[in-house]
Amino acid sequence: MSELPPLSGSLPPTNEPLRIAVRRMRWFRAAFEAYVKAIGDRVGCTYKIDDAKLAAIFVRWLRAIESQKPSNRQDRHDYFEFAAGLMLRELTADMPLVALSPPSKSAPDSAATFWPEGYACTMFCLTVHSAAMEQEFKNKPQVSPVIEDLRHWWSFKENAQMGASFSVGFLLTLLGHQPNWMMPDVFRVRLSDELKQP
Amino acid sequence: MRNPLPNLLPDAMPLRDALRGLRHAVRRGGETLLDVMTLDQLPPPATHLAGAVIREMGELAKGVGEVASGFARIALGGADALHSAPLKLTARLGAEDAFAQGIYAALRLVLQRLDAPSVYISETAARMAFVSLLPSQRQGQDADIAAALSLGLVEAKVLRGTSAQDAAHVPGRAIEHVAIFAVMLWLQSNRTEAEDEAVLASATDLALVLANEANAAFCASDRTKLAALYAEFAAHV
Repeated sequence: MSELPPLSGSLPPTNEPLRIAVRRMRWFRAAFEAYVKAIGDRVGCTYKIDDAKLAAIFVRWLRAIESQKPSNRQDRHDYFEFAAGLMLRELTADMPLVALSPPSKSAPDSAATFWPEGYACTMFCLTVHSAAMEQEFKNKPQVSPVIEDLRHWWSFKENAQMGASFSVGFLLTLLGHQPNWMMPDVFRVRLSDELKQP
Repeated sequence: MRNPLPNLLPDAMPLRDALRGLRHAVRRGGETLLDVMTLDQLPPPATHLAGAVIREMGELAKGVGEVASGFARIALGGADALHSAPLKLTARLGAEDAFAQGIYAALRLVLQRLDAPSVYISETAARMAFVSLLPSQRQGQDADIAAALSLGLVEAKVLRGTSAQDAAHVPGRAIEHVAIFAVMLWLQSNRTEAEDEAVLASATDLALVLANEANAAFCASDRTKLAALYAEFAAHV
């Protein structure tokens, strides 16, 4: 397990806890724009954002996390991870990004070059999640080494195009979990035993 | 204690509305003229003549616009400032005027974002909607009051003169409902003064996403459904 690339500083400041700020359209949009700009600079590519798609994604994500929100506070930690997965699901279901050029600063066999849009969205979700977890649980999540494995990204892109729910499982895999691949975007069937599996 | 002096000044709000109406009519007249006149198909002398007429109309529209805007803002004290909107939807002395001025300023910005800046906004109608709230409608949650006010704004015709071109910018051609929904969502949001315009932009984008649901609630005059939408999203603008 390793740490995320240090781009959390690109998230806009807020006086509110991140778990609240991210559920406000104005912060979510500002954060996405700032992060995409920062990651574009790092990999050497310019992205174009579709604001209308991003607004619709935000609404769908908000409704998705509200509808599955657990009543038991003990599930908060797991639900934070799950909510990040749902965000990636909505982003990949209707991709709001277009890379205007191939990344010029990333390796040819890297995830950023293979799928620049999917890479930016995944890293955004991981970065917001990591910052929120650190704030709420004083716990900086580590990322699985599979993040460097192009075969996982290839599988992610192929499967996400067939069904966006795969994205939730992919993100949980990056966070070191073994997801329930039958229904990766349904929280109540995420048995804690599965999460504890190595 | 002495009684306060009676206010002998005329009510400026209808006069501001009248001047804005004049500006709207002249602008729209010029646009209509440009739409219907096919200058390129006219023979040369007529083209020059028609061109001169259109330029004259443009100057007239500009002049009327400047006079109406300037007079309304400066001489009559019309507030185009966003911050005049009451932050809390509670009744207080002069609240109806603050509400109307704030709604006018916010609707202007929302309509610009919806690419329909020339739709006519009636400040007087906004005040009427506020004043017409029943005592029972002034009680309850912000979302319930906002829903009642929203339907009141539609009934009072706060937005007028919407063209088909304006309406086409919004799903379901429901530009009036979407604009009012956006402003009322913004009014209920938790924000600082510095965030006002950014929050209004976010509220407009949310209203566009929710256009079909909001429009259905407006068309059915369904206050409960409208209040539910406000309650669901006011904290997330």
